[in-house]
Amino acid sequence: MDTPVFKGRLFPWLLLLPSLMVLAVFLYYPAVQTLRLSATASNLITGNARFVGWENFTDLLRDPSYVQSAALTLLFCALVVSLGLLVSLSLALLASSVRRGARWYRLALIYPYALSPAIAATLWLFLFNPEVGMVNTVLGDLLGIRPRWLDTPGLAFGLVVMAAVWKNVGYNVAFYIAAIQNLPKDVLEAARIDGAWGSRMFWRILFPLLSPMTFFLVFANLTYALFESFALVDILTKGGPVMGSGGATRFLMFRLYTDGIENYKTGFGAAQAVLMFLGVALITLAQFRFAGRRVQYGA
Amino acid sequence: MNRPTLNRPTLNRLTLALALSCYASSALAEPLTVEFWHIFGDAKRKGFIDQKAAEFNAKNPDIKVVPVVKGNYSENLQAAILASRQGQPPALVQVFDVGTQLAADSGVFQPVGNVEKTDYGDYLKPVLDYYTLQGKINSLPFNSSSPVLYANRDLIKKAGLNDGALPATYGALLRSCAKIKAALPDAKCITFGASSWFVEQWMAEQGTTLVNNGNGRAARATESNLDSPAAKNIFSFIKKLNDGGFYSFTGKLDDGAGSAAIFTAQKSVFLISSTADLGNQLDAAKQGSYRLGVGLLPIQDGSARNGVVIGGASLWIAKGIPDNVADAARTFALFMTNTANMKEWHKLTGYYPVRKSSVSELRKEGWLDSAAPQTVAFRQLLNTKASPATAGALFGGLLPARQIIQEGLQKVLQGQDVDSVTRDTKAQVDKVISDYNKSLGK
Amino acid sequence: MALKVRVRPATRPTLRVDWTEVGKHSLLLLACLIVVFPLLAAVIKGTQTGAMVSGASLKVAGFFWSNLREAWVSANLGVYMRNSLIVAVCVTLGKTALSLLAAAAFVYFRFPLRGALFALVLFSLMLPSEILIVALFDVVTRLHWTNTYAAVIVPFLASATGVFLFRQQFMQIPSSLAEAARMDGAGPLRYLWHVLIPLSGNTIGAMAVIQFVSAWDQYLWPLVIIRDEAHQVVQVGLKGLSSAAEGQNWGVVMAGAVVSIVPPLIVFTALQEQFSKGFALGGEK
Repeated sequence: MDTPVFKGRLFPWLLLLPSLMVLAVFLYYPAVQTLRLSATASNLITGNARFVGWENFTDLLRDPSYVQSAALTLLFCALVVSLGLLVSLSLALLASSVRRGARWYRLALIYPYALSPAIAATLWLFLFNPEVGMVNTVLGDLLGIRPRWLDTPGLAFGLVVMAAVWKNVGYNVAFYIAAIQNLPKDVLEAARIDGAWGSRMFWRILFPLLSPMTFFLVFANLTYALFESFALVDILTKGGPVMGSGGATRFLMFRLYTDGIENYKTGFGAAQAVLMFLGVALITLAQFRFAGRRVQYGA
Repeated sequence: MNRPTLNRPTLNRLTLALALSCYASSALAEPLTVEFWHIFGDAKRKGFIDQKAAEFNAKNPDIKVVPVVKGNYSENLQAAILASRQGQPPALVQVFDVGTQLAADSGVFQPVGNVEKTDYGDYLKPVLDYYTLQGKINSLPFNSSSPVLYANRDLIKKAGLNDGALPATYGALLRSCAKIKAALPDAKCITFGASSWFVEQWMAEQGTTLVNNGNGRAARATESNLDSPAAKNIFSFIKKLNDGGFYSFTGKLDDGAGSAAIFTAQKSVFLISSTADLGNQLDAAKQGSYRLGVGLLPIQDGSARNGVVIGGASLWIAKGIPDNVADAARTFALFMTNTANMKEWHKLTGYYPVRKSSVSELRKEGWLDSAAPQTVAFRQLLNTKASPATAGALFGGLLPARQIIQEGLQKVLQGQDVDSVTRDTKAQVDKVISDYNKSLGK
Repeated sequence: MALKVRVRPATRPTLRVDWTEVGKHSLLLLACLIVVFPLLAAVIKGTQTGAMVSGASLKVAGFFWSNLREAWVSANLGVYMRNSLIVAVCVTLGKTALSLLAAAAFVYFRFPLRGALFALVLFSLMLPSEILIVALFDVVTRLHWTNTYAAVIVPFLASATGVFLFRQQFMQIPSSLAEAARMDGAGPLRYLWHVLIPLSGNTIGAMAVIQFVSAWDQYLWPLVIIRDEAHQVVQVGLKGLSSAAEGQNWGVVMAGAVVSIVPPLIVFTALQEQFSKGFALGGEK
């Protein structure tokens, strides 16, 4: 399959030109600027941009609260990706195995994806208000417990994980259902007769066939957990509650936003962006290496 | 002709051309456009601003004020600074109290008192003091508020307490709380967001500045007073409330909305919140059919009542715009905060009318003598003693400092001891201050 | 009476409860309930007002229309939704077109730096515009795009996800087809238009859903770069409702939010078949 089908030296560049131009002007050029900013003590308010070399980076890496944020972010990403994919894959398998109504389940599972993260988080905040929220009203009546969702570090962390997983379930389910529907018919039939997932059948045959999708979704969910779940944190916990040398949900993107944008320390924020980028690049590389061997992924 | 879609660069060039042409006749001229960036996206307050802009535009056909809603306070300031650096500043910007030093240091604004000779004597002194830097009035006060004690009078009565006078000191409040706890198993005594704003207010009430050098007004602040006895009083009070099981909050820092929800669900007898919340609280009381009381902010026992720090926001005029646009912006700002409009604003929202003449007219109308709950907040402000403490803290790192102070509150609520928390909090805030000062070194 | 009695065909199995099926449906129903609950809550909260909204009550109250009217007027929803629609449609169309072209280049041509360029495109996933905002602002103002739709459309036209998915899709189309097209003397563009695009309908539909939603959800960037109400987008208007310092009315916010998700829901419903079939990453054909 790897033979070039159409010949042309300039033509492929022409096809790529629009995308490359947009990327160059609106992504890579600003990214280079950001890299430059990261070596300055630039402050949006004062308009100063004093060159400080590595200082922003050494400050960050020496700051125990930054290291804690990085560790928490890693844990958060791992949980969001693994739980998110596990839940979504189970639901997708379930929804494609029923004889009737699959279409409706699919719709219902996908719809919450339309809610913007900010609105979703506001709703969660209402639901989990420990004194007057729905959840504790029900838990209090039924079980007599009223968990302090927002100021118990473990619970607050768990709540943000739950919210983040929930928000992306629709997206993941849609992708998995698509992948399942595109599986060879005989495999699907065999799986259906065999009945149970969790069986050897699933792990030996189904799961490997779904691995390209899983590979893609791991990446998509990772960037989601890192960057897009920002709104959830901002509205649900504001990075709190206090734990160790920082907040229990003070993830890297939230930090970057508060330092770089809310507190106007542009250079410091840029340095954090660079570190985050390096982290993601490392994980991605590792993933490609790991997956390169195991995923039938195409060249 | 004046389609609102007219794009900004064109307008800019037009106004510039206008400013430069020495024979500009008003008959030929496009109206001067004054962009006003503010943060009020809700119907009530946005409606007020839009209506005042329309009135003003009708009265001044050569000026066109265009109000634009710009996210929250922090985003609004950021957008204004970015725009100014690109040579397209909005003429008039609403800047929040904590951003005062930042806005001044940014160099993209000009003091409002610069060009036109206006008598600012009519503005309430404690309010104007906040926005006066090194003797110069930098910005015009607009929406100003301070915290008060809201009370559910029905619950107070149910608890068997006197619902006439509300507790005005920490001690009185704690005593009421003990009785409420015994009498009302379903409700907590008090709720308020774990917010730095209240700590700042309670410092001022005790006559202590938040930071040194006259609250950063005599010279740049270099350290905070967060380990002062006054600060310890505040943190100890919070600790006592919490240890006694009197305090209720959502757990999220600075969650005023969450606390308001607890109060309006009648799960708490008292609420400390801004005067600007009054409109909502009155509505909620009507819906929940309970009687709402409003009292002074309770303070440390034995301390004189020094008064509150003004909170809210003011109106700033950009630098780098033609003088006639700056004049137009100032004229509009003065119009929007004139006697009649401030009265209307006050009645609509609960924010203070920032002018003496508005106050005296309200008094003549009997508004202040009426039982209107607005009056409490008012007296609290009018009785404020002018001092560096009540003028409010001024330093560039106030925003991150607030976060640190709030985390300090949470540590106390988690059971840490007051002395170590105040010591840590001070150290962290002092570092923020020195970092900011360092970043100014040009 | 006797006439009404019908004899079941003997071949048809007798009615028997399939408990596995029932179990699956109950599990799915429960999952759907949990997943959909916040959405339902938003609708219900949109009918409430004042203190009720932030409390536990899930009673439907009669304030939806008055909330909506308030949101519509103060958040300028009519104008903002039109703008968001323009922006989201343009971003969706543009992204799809650009990704198709780029994916075709990666699959059907061999040229120097191909791998590096592909990596460059994929890497863009790791550079969310939020962290580049200051530098991006600088670029767009220098282009004099402040207050134009271009400012919120053009920077988002390149799509790593799009290029990646279309590339996968194209690789699964038998290369013999392309070979045949080449023999017939069809150029790559004709092949793209007449063969690839018709064969990729599902992927295109699926991509459209994702791109539409992400364009519809834009907030921080339009907030900074758009400064006139005539071009502002709906998320900024909605945030304005809820960020107004003290004293917001959450019922109004929820009513506004409910209305603001109608366009993405329409897009979903219309394209749901494509959306669920579109990501053909699984099959190794």
